[in-house]
Amino acid sequence: MNEFEWRRQLRELRQPAAPNRDLWPAIDAALDGAAQAATPVQALPSRQRHWLLGAGLAASLLVAGGLGWRLLQAPPGNANTPAISNWKPADPRFAGAAIELDAARMELELAIRQAPDSAGLQRLLRRTEQQQAQLRHLADRAS
Amino acid sequence: MPPVPTAAHDSDDVRAAAAGDRHAFQRLYTLHVGRVYGALQRLAGYDHARAEDLTQEAFIRAWQKLPGFRHESAFGTWLYRLAVNVALMDIRARGADPVSVRDNELLPDPGETPFCAAERGELEQAIGQLPPRARAVLVLHDIEGWRHEDIGDELGMAVGTSKAQLHRARSLLRKALGERS
Repeated sequence: MNEFEWRRQLRELRQPAAPNRDLWPAIDAALDGAAQAATPVQALPSRQRHWLLGAGLAASLLVAGGLGWRLLQAPPGNANTPAISNWKPADPRFAGAAIELDAARMELELAIRQAPDSAGLQRLLRRTEQQQAQLRHLADRAS
Repeated sequence: MPPVPTAAHDSDDVRAAAAGDRHAFQRLYTLHVGRVYGALQRLAGYDHARAEDLTQEAFIRAWQKLPGFRHESAFGTWLYRLAVNVALMDIRARGADPVSVRDNELLPDPGETPFCAAERGELEQAIGQLPPRARAVLVLHDIEGWRHEDIGDELGMAVGTSKAQLHRARSLLRKALGERS
């Protein structure tokens, strides 16, 4: 008997077969307690979730550290660094936006000192200052 | 992997069953149970009670997973694959017979053992006596027509290990049949 015949003999085993008993009643009974999965949600694998959480935390720490370092390096009254705005909205809903805009303005003023002829930076600074003015206006109206 | 023949008209039943229609699922069971049970019986080494348990488990899993069936393959192919996975998970859970070099050294060289003609019953009995993991590889490769890459993926083993298990299973099978003849 050669290998070809041997393999053929094995392949002939690949046939359907009937169970000795009807399995449906047991399956049917088990389905009562087996809820169908809801519409599958593409949840991130656990490892990926952990990675994203870690990356988010690291980014937050980096930004916070950088901002803290920048503030320490810029004592009030130092003529070489832009002044932090003293304006703080009374309404806490505007506080976050005020801080963001103030930080953006500071960054732009520092950048403009490095590149005073940059029209793009000047345009961004004007737009930021306009947004700050709008925010003050909105905060005044809200209070 | 060869496609599993399926009826073209079962797609309506598949959709209905996915929406919770138990009668539609029963029709799918009736249509496909032979194919599923046949494969699981071979993987279970012709242990009929075990094959029946695995078949029940496979259809329960299929019911649970049906809402996620994407119709990218025939339902029969999807069900067959799911059922084989159930059997392989069972084998993995038992941590059966990891192959070792020593095992292979103890086996006769395949070239030294003649191929033996065997009656179907003898062949099934010999397959049933193989170690579970080696049997799974032999059944999937030589009977079901799977590639080593697919077997390795499903059983969590390297392609080389799958080949080694096949070599081991064939040698043990020939030896068992040779001793009987």
